[in-house]
Amino acid sequence: MKVAITGKGGSGKTTVAAILARTLARGGADVVALDCDSNPNLGISLGIGPERTLELAAIRQSLDDEEGGAEHAETADELIERFGDDAPDGVRLAVVTKIEKPNPG
Amino acid sequence: MSARVAFVGKGGVGKSVISATVARLLGRAGDDVLALDADTMPGLALSLGMHVGPEGLPETLAEQRENEGWVMADPSVTPDQLVDRFAIVGPDRVRLLTLGKLPGNVKPGSTMAFRHVVRGFRRSGWSLVGDLAAGTRQAFFGWAGFARNVALVAEPSAKSVLSARRLARLAESMPGVTFAVIASKVREGDDPARVAAAIGLPLLGSVPYDGSVLDAERHGLTALDAVPEAPAMRAIAEIVTLVDQG
Repeated sequence: MKVAITGKGGSGKTTVAAILARTLARGGADVVALDCDSNPNLGISLGIGPERTLELAAIRQSLDDEEGGAEHAETADELIERFGDDAPDGVRLAVVTKIEKPNPG
Repeated sequence: MSARVAFVGKGGVGKSVISATVARLLGRAGDDVLALDADTMPGLALSLGMHVGPEGLPETLAEQRENEGWVMADPSVTPDQLVDRFAIVGPDRVRLLTLGKLPGNVKPGSTMAFRHVVRGFRRSGWSLVGDLAAGTRQAFFGWAGFARNVALVAEPSAKSVLSARRLARLAESMPGVTFAVIASKVREGDDPARVAAAIGLPLLGSVPYDGSVLDAERHGLTALDAVPEAPAMRAIAEIVTLVDQG
Protein backbone atom coordinates (compact mmCIF):
# COMPACT_ATOMS: atom_id res chain seq x y z
CA MET A 1 0.00 0.00 0.00
CA LYS A 2 1.27 3.47 -0.89
CA VAL A 3 -0.50 6.47 0.62
CA ALA A 4 0.26 10.16 0.06
CA ILE A 5 -1.24 12.71 2.43
CA THR A 6 -1.68 16.29 1.31
CA GLY A 7 -3.54 19.45 2.37
CA LYS A 8 -3.22 22.95 3.77
CA GLY A 9 -0.69 23.69 6.48
CA GLY A 10 -1.94 23.12 9.99
CA SER A 11 -4.80 20.89 8.91
CA GLY A 12 -3.25 17.78 10.45
CA LYS A 13 -1.39 16.09 7.57
CA THR A 14 1.67 15.23 9.63
CA THR A 15 -0.29 13.90 12.60
CA VAL A 16 -2.50 11.74 10.36
CA ALA A 17 0.51 10.43 8.44
CA ALA A 18 2.42 9.54 11.63
CA ILE A 19 -0.48 7.74 13.29
CA LEU A 20 -1.26 5.90 10.06
CA ALA A 21 2.37 4.79 9.74
CA ARG A 22 2.66 3.60 13.33
CA THR A 23 -0.73 1.88 13.29
CA LEU A 24 0.20 -0.02 10.13
CA ALA A 25 3.55 -0.98 11.67
CA ARG A 26 1.86 -2.20 14.85
CA GLY A 27 -0.34 -4.36 12.65
CA GLY A 28 2.78 -6.09 11.35
CA ALA A 29 3.45 -4.14 8.14
CA ASP A 30 6.93 -2.97 7.15
CA VAL A 31 6.47 0.78 6.92
CA VAL A 32 8.60 3.50 5.35
CA ALA A 33 7.47 7.03 6.23
CA LEU A 34 8.65 9.66 3.75
CA ASP A 35 8.62 13.31 4.76
CA CYS A 36 8.20 15.29 1.54
CA ASP A 37 7.37 18.60 3.22
CA SER A 38 9.71 21.54 2.66
CA ASN A 39 9.31 21.97 6.41
CA PRO A 40 9.91 18.37 7.46
CA ASN A 41 8.40 17.75 10.90
CA LEU A 42 7.16 14.17 10.53
CA GLY A 43 9.83 12.94 12.95
CA ILE A 44 8.21 14.90 15.78
CA SER A 45 4.78 13.35 15.17
CA LEU A 46 6.33 9.88 14.90
CA GLY A 47 7.97 10.46 18.27
CA ILE A 48 11.74 10.79 17.65
CA GLY A 49 11.92 14.34 19.03
CA PRO A 50 13.05 17.66 17.52
CA GLU A 51 16.82 17.11 17.63
CA ARG A 52 16.80 13.84 15.69
CA THR A 53 14.23 15.34 13.32
CA LEU A 54 16.52 18.28 12.61
CA GLU A 55 19.48 15.94 12.20
CA LEU A 56 17.65 13.88 9.56
CA ALA A 57 17.11 16.90 7.39
CA ALA A 58 20.77 17.84 7.73
CA ILE A 59 21.79 14.38 6.58
CA ARG A 60 19.52 14.71 3.59
CA GLN A 61 21.19 18.00 2.74
CA SER A 62 24.62 16.41 2.89
CA LEU A 63 23.68 14.14 -0.01
CA ASP A 64 23.32 17.20 -2.24
CA ASP A 65 26.63 18.55 -1.09
CA GLU A 66 28.58 15.36 -1.81
CA GLU A 67 31.17 15.32 -4.55
CA GLY A 68 29.81 13.83 -7.71
CA GLY A 69 26.22 13.90 -6.48
CA ALA A 70 23.99 12.04 -8.86
CA GLU A 71 26.88 10.20 -10.50
CA HIS A 72 26.97 7.64 -7.74
CA ALA A 73 23.30 7.78 -6.89
CA GLU A 74 22.19 4.78 -4.90
CA THR A 75 18.94 2.90 -5.10
CA ALA A 76 15.95 4.11 -3.09
CA ASP A 77 16.41 1.20 -0.68
CA GLU A 78 20.03 2.11 -0.06
CA LEU A 79 19.19 5.77 0.49
CA ILE A 80 16.49 4.95 3.04
CA GLU A 81 18.93 2.63 4.81
CA ARG A 82 21.74 5.15 4.79
CA PHE A 83 19.87 8.38 5.50
CA GLY A 84 16.79 7.21 7.37
CA ASP A 85 16.17 6.85 11.09
CA ASP A 86 14.22 4.34 13.15
CA ALA A 87 11.01 5.67 14.65
CA PRO A 88 8.81 3.87 17.22
CA ASP A 89 6.90 0.70 16.23
CA GLY A 90 9.56 -0.11 13.63
CA VAL A 91 8.66 2.69 11.22
CA ARG A 92 11.63 3.69 9.05
CA LEU A 93 11.63 7.46 8.48
CA ALA A 94 13.41 9.29 5.68
CA VAL A 95 13.31 12.94 4.69
CA VAL A 96 13.16 13.38 0.93
CA THR A 97 12.97 17.16 0.80
CA LYS A 98 15.74 19.50 -0.04
CA ILE A 99 15.68 22.48 2.29
CA GLU A 100 18.35 24.90 1.21
CA LYS A 101 19.70 25.93 -2.17
CA PRO A 102 16.13 25.76 -3.43
CA ASN A 103 14.54 26.65 -6.73
CA PRO A 104 12.57 29.87 -6.89
CA GLY A 105 9.13 29.80 -5.31
CA MET B 1 2.67 54.90 10.28
CA SER B 2 4.94 52.85 8.11
CA ALA B 3 5.97 49.24 8.34
CA ARG B 4 7.80 46.70 6.20
CA VAL B 5 7.15 43.35 7.77
CA ALA B 6 7.19 39.75 6.54
CA PHE B 7 5.38 36.98 8.38
CA VAL B 8 6.85 33.48 8.15
CA GLY B 9 6.12 30.23 9.95
CA LYS B 10 4.56 26.81 9.73
CA GLY B 11 1.22 26.42 7.97
CA GLY B 12 -1.81 26.93 10.12
CA VAL B 13 -0.19 29.08 12.80
CA GLY B 14 -2.14 32.16 11.77
CA LYS B 15 0.22 33.96 9.36
CA SER B 16 -2.52 34.98 6.93
CA VAL B 17 -4.93 36.23 9.58
CA ILE B 18 -2.17 38.17 11.33
CA SER B 19 -0.74 39.65 8.13
CA ALA B 20 -4.19 40.56 6.77
CA THR B 21 -5.22 42.19 10.04
CA VAL B 22 -1.94 44.10 10.31
CA ALA B 23 -2.31 45.29 6.71
CA ARG B 24 -5.88 46.49 7.24
CA LEU B 25 -5.14 48.23 10.53
CA LEU B 26 -2.23 50.07 8.87
CA GLY B 27 -4.66 51.04 6.11
CA ARG B 28 -7.18 52.32 8.67
CA ALA B 29 -4.46 54.40 10.23
CA GLY B 30 -4.07 56.15 6.89
CA ASP B 31 -1.17 54.24 5.37
CA ASP B 32 -0.89 53.21 1.77
CA VAL B 33 -0.43 49.46 2.21
CA LEU B 34 0.81 46.83 -0.22
CA ALA B 35 0.02 43.28 0.91
CA LEU B 36 2.14 40.61 -0.75
CA ASP B 37 0.87 37.04 -0.78
CA ALA B 38 3.85 34.86 -1.62
CA ASP B 39 2.19 31.63 -0.55
CA THR B 40 1.80 29.00 -3.22
CA MET B 41 -1.56 28.27 -1.60
CA PRO B 42 -2.75 31.87 -1.70
CA GLY B 43 -5.06 32.65 1.20
CA LEU B 44 -4.28 36.24 2.06
CA ALA B 45 -7.08 37.58 -0.15
CA LEU B 46 -9.64 35.63 1.84
CA SER B 47 -8.18 36.79 5.12
CA LEU B 48 -8.32 40.38 3.87
CA GLY B 49 -11.99 39.90 3.04
CA MET B 50 -11.52 39.88 -0.72
CA HIS B 51 -12.95 37.42 -3.15
CA VAL B 52 -10.33 37.20 -5.84
CA GLY B 53 -8.74 34.18 -7.45
CA PRO B 54 -5.14 33.11 -7.10
CA GLU B 55 -4.11 34.65 -10.41
CA GLY B 56 -0.70 36.23 -10.21
CA LEU B 57 0.82 38.87 -12.44
CA PRO B 58 0.51 38.26 -16.19
CA GLU B 59 2.87 35.55 -17.41
CA THR B 60 3.84 37.76 -20.37
CA LEU B 61 5.55 40.36 -18.15
CA ALA B 62 8.71 38.26 -18.21
CA GLU B 63 10.31 36.09 -20.82
CA GLN B 64 13.08 33.53 -21.05
CA ARG B 65 16.21 34.49 -22.95
CA GLU B 66 19.17 32.43 -23.93
CA ASN B 67 22.10 33.00 -21.52
CA GLU B 68 20.07 35.39 -19.35
CA GLY B 69 17.31 33.10 -18.12
CA TRP B 70 14.05 34.75 -17.09
CA VAL B 71 14.08 38.53 -17.33
CA MET B 72 11.42 41.23 -17.43
CA ALA B 73 10.15 41.48 -21.01
CA ASP B 74 10.31 45.27 -20.79
CA PRO B 75 13.21 46.23 -18.50
CA SER B 76 11.89 49.77 -18.18
CA VAL B 77 8.79 48.59 -16.29
CA THR B 78 9.26 49.58 -12.65
CA PRO B 79 7.94 47.78 -9.57
CA ASP B 80 5.86 50.89 -8.82
CA GLN B 81 4.18 50.63 -12.22
CA LEU B 82 3.40 46.95 -11.64
CA VAL B 83 1.77 47.78 -8.30
CA ASP B 84 -0.25 50.68 -9.74
CA ARG B 85 -1.43 48.61 -12.64
CA PHE B 86 -2.03 45.16 -11.13
CA ALA B 87 -2.56 45.39 -7.38
CA ILE B 88 -6.19 44.85 -6.40
CA VAL B 89 -7.70 47.26 -3.88
CA GLY B 90 -9.42 45.63 -0.92
CA PRO B 91 -10.96 46.66 2.40
CA ASP B 92 -9.30 49.58 4.18
CA ARG B 93 -7.62 50.47 0.85
CA VAL B 94 -5.10 47.65 1.16
CA ARG B 95 -3.58 46.78 -2.23
CA LEU B 96 -2.96 43.11 -2.81
CA LEU B 97 -0.49 41.40 -5.12
CA THR B 98 -0.43 37.61 -5.27
CA LEU B 99 2.41 35.37 -6.39
CA GLY B 100 -0.26 33.10 -7.74
CA LYS B 101 1.94 30.11 -8.40
CA LEU B 102 -0.09 27.07 -7.59
CA PRO B 103 1.83 23.88 -6.84
CA GLY B 104 2.27 21.92 -10.02
CA ASN B 105 1.39 24.95 -12.11
CA VAL B 106 4.67 26.79 -12.33
CA LYS B 107 4.40 30.22 -13.95
CA PRO B 108 7.95 31.53 -14.25
CA GLY B 109 6.93 34.80 -15.88
CA SER B 110 4.47 35.68 -13.12
CA THR B 111 6.98 34.60 -10.50
CA MET B 112 9.68 36.79 -12.04
CA ALA B 113 7.37 39.82 -12.15
CA PHE B 114 6.30 39.27 -8.54
CA ARG B 115 9.93 39.06 -7.50
CA HIS B 116 10.60 42.31 -9.37
CA VAL B 117 8.08 43.99 -7.04
CA VAL B 118 9.36 42.29 -3.88
CA ARG B 119 12.91 43.36 -4.61
CA GLY B 120 12.28 46.80 -6.00
CA PHE B 121 9.14 48.38 -4.57
CA ARG B 122 10.21 50.88 -1.91
CA ARG B 123 7.82 53.77 -2.50
CA SER B 124 8.28 56.28 0.26
CA GLY B 125 5.66 56.25 2.98
CA TRP B 126 4.08 52.96 1.93
CA SER B 127 3.75 50.00 4.22
CA LEU B 128 4.54 46.51 2.96
CA VAL B 129 3.12 43.41 4.59
CA GLY B 130 4.17 39.98 3.33
CA ASP B 131 2.60 36.59 3.93
CA LEU B 132 5.21 33.99 2.99
CA ALA B 133 4.77 30.34 2.11
CA ALA B 134 4.64 27.82 4.91
CA GLY B 135 7.83 26.03 3.88
CA THR B 136 11.33 27.27 4.27
CA ARG B 137 12.23 27.53 0.59
CA GLN B 138 10.79 30.91 -0.27
CA ALA B 139 12.06 32.58 2.85
CA PHE B 140 15.57 31.44 2.05
CA PHE B 141 15.25 32.55 -1.54
CA GLY B 142 14.71 36.20 -0.83
CA TRP B 143 10.95 36.55 -0.72
CA ALA B 144 11.33 38.46 2.53
CA GLY B 145 13.83 40.82 0.91
CA PHE B 146 11.62 43.89 1.27
CA ALA B 147 11.30 43.53 5.04
CA ARG B 148 12.75 45.55 7.89
CA ASN B 149 11.05 43.22 10.34
CA VAL B 150 10.68 39.48 9.94
CA ALA B 151 8.13 38.02 12.32
CA LEU B 152 8.43 34.29 12.95
CA VAL B 153 4.92 33.19 13.81
CA ALA B 154 4.81 30.07 15.95
CA GLU B 155 2.24 28.40 18.14
CA PRO B 156 3.07 26.41 21.28
CA SER B 157 3.64 23.09 19.52
CA ALA B 158 6.84 21.14 18.93
CA LYS B 159 6.32 21.10 15.15
CA SER B 160 5.64 24.80 14.91
CA VAL B 161 8.67 25.62 17.07
CA LEU B 162 10.92 23.33 15.00
CA SER B 163 9.80 25.07 11.80
CA ALA B 164 10.54 28.44 13.39
CA ARG B 165 14.00 27.24 14.49
CA ARG B 166 14.79 26.42 10.86
CA LEU B 167 13.47 29.78 9.72
CA ALA B 168 15.46 31.60 12.40
CA ARG B 169 18.61 30.73 10.42
CA LEU B 170 17.39 33.29 7.89
CA ALA B 171 18.62 36.00 10.22
CA GLU B 172 22.23 35.15 9.31
CA SER B 173 21.57 35.94 5.66
CA MET B 174 19.62 39.15 6.32
CA PRO B 175 21.83 41.55 8.26
CA GLY B 176 20.10 44.73 9.37
CA VAL B 177 16.69 43.08 9.51
CA THR B 178 15.05 42.69 12.91
CA PHE B 179 13.92 39.14 13.63
CA ALA B 180 11.44 38.42 16.40
CA VAL B 181 8.83 35.86 17.39
CA ILE B 182 5.08 36.25 17.44
CA ALA B 183 3.62 33.56 19.68
CA SER B 184 0.27 32.61 18.17
CA LYS B 185 -2.71 30.71 19.58
CA VAL B 186 -1.24 30.92 23.06
CA ARG B 187 -3.31 29.51 25.93
CA GLU B 188 -1.16 29.69 29.04
CA GLY B 189 0.54 32.72 30.54
CA ASP B 190 4.05 31.43 29.99
CA ASP B 191 3.43 30.15 26.43
CA PRO B 192 4.87 33.25 24.67
CA ALA B 193 8.10 33.21 26.67
CA ARG B 194 8.51 29.45 26.23
CA VAL B 195 7.95 29.63 22.46
CA ALA B 196 10.44 32.49 22.04
CA ALA B 197 13.04 30.78 24.23
CA ALA B 198 12.73 27.51 22.28
CA ILE B 199 13.26 29.39 19.01
CA GLY B 200 16.07 31.46 20.47
CA LEU B 201 14.86 34.89 19.34
CA PRO B 202 13.27 37.78 21.22
CA LEU B 203 9.51 37.92 21.60
CA LEU B 204 7.79 40.65 19.58
CA GLY B 205 4.23 39.97 20.65
CA SER B 206 1.65 37.30 21.20
CA VAL B 207 -1.84 36.50 19.98
CA PRO B 208 -4.16 34.44 22.19
CA TYR B 209 -6.00 31.33 21.11
CA ASP B 210 -9.36 32.85 20.25
CA GLY B 211 -12.41 30.73 19.44
CA SER B 212 -14.30 33.70 18.03
CA VAL B 213 -11.62 34.17 15.34
CA LEU B 214 -11.72 30.48 14.46
CA ASP B 215 -15.55 30.64 14.32
CA ALA B 216 -15.40 33.59 11.95
CA GLU B 217 -12.91 31.76 9.73
CA ARG B 218 -15.09 28.66 9.74
CA HIS B 219 -17.96 30.72 8.37
CA GLY B 220 -15.77 32.34 5.73
CA LEU B 221 -15.78 35.71 7.49
CA THR B 222 -12.80 37.87 8.34
CA ALA B 223 -12.33 38.20 12.06
CA LEU B 224 -11.64 41.93 11.80
CA ASP B 225 -15.13 42.43 10.33
CA ALA B 226 -17.02 39.79 12.33
CA VAL B 227 -15.43 40.15 15.78
CA PRO B 228 -13.35 43.35 15.76
CA GLU B 229 -13.15 43.47 19.57
CA ALA B 230 -12.00 39.85 19.95
CA PRO B 231 -8.90 39.41 22.14
CA ALA B 232 -6.84 38.18 19.17
CA MET B 233 -7.75 41.28 17.15
CA ARG B 234 -6.74 43.57 20.01
CA ALA B 235 -3.45 41.67 20.33
CA ILE B 236 -2.73 42.12 16.61
CA ALA B 237 -3.47 45.86 16.94
CA GLU B 238 -0.74 45.92 19.57
CA ILE B 239 1.68 44.21 17.15
CA VAL B 240 0.96 46.92 14.55
CA THR B 241 2.33 49.55 16.92
CA LEU B 242 5.46 47.44 17.41
CA VAL B 243 6.32 47.04 13.72
CA ASP B 244 5.51 50.67 12.93
CA GLN B 245 8.70 52.54 12.20
CA GLY B 246 7.20 55.91 11.37
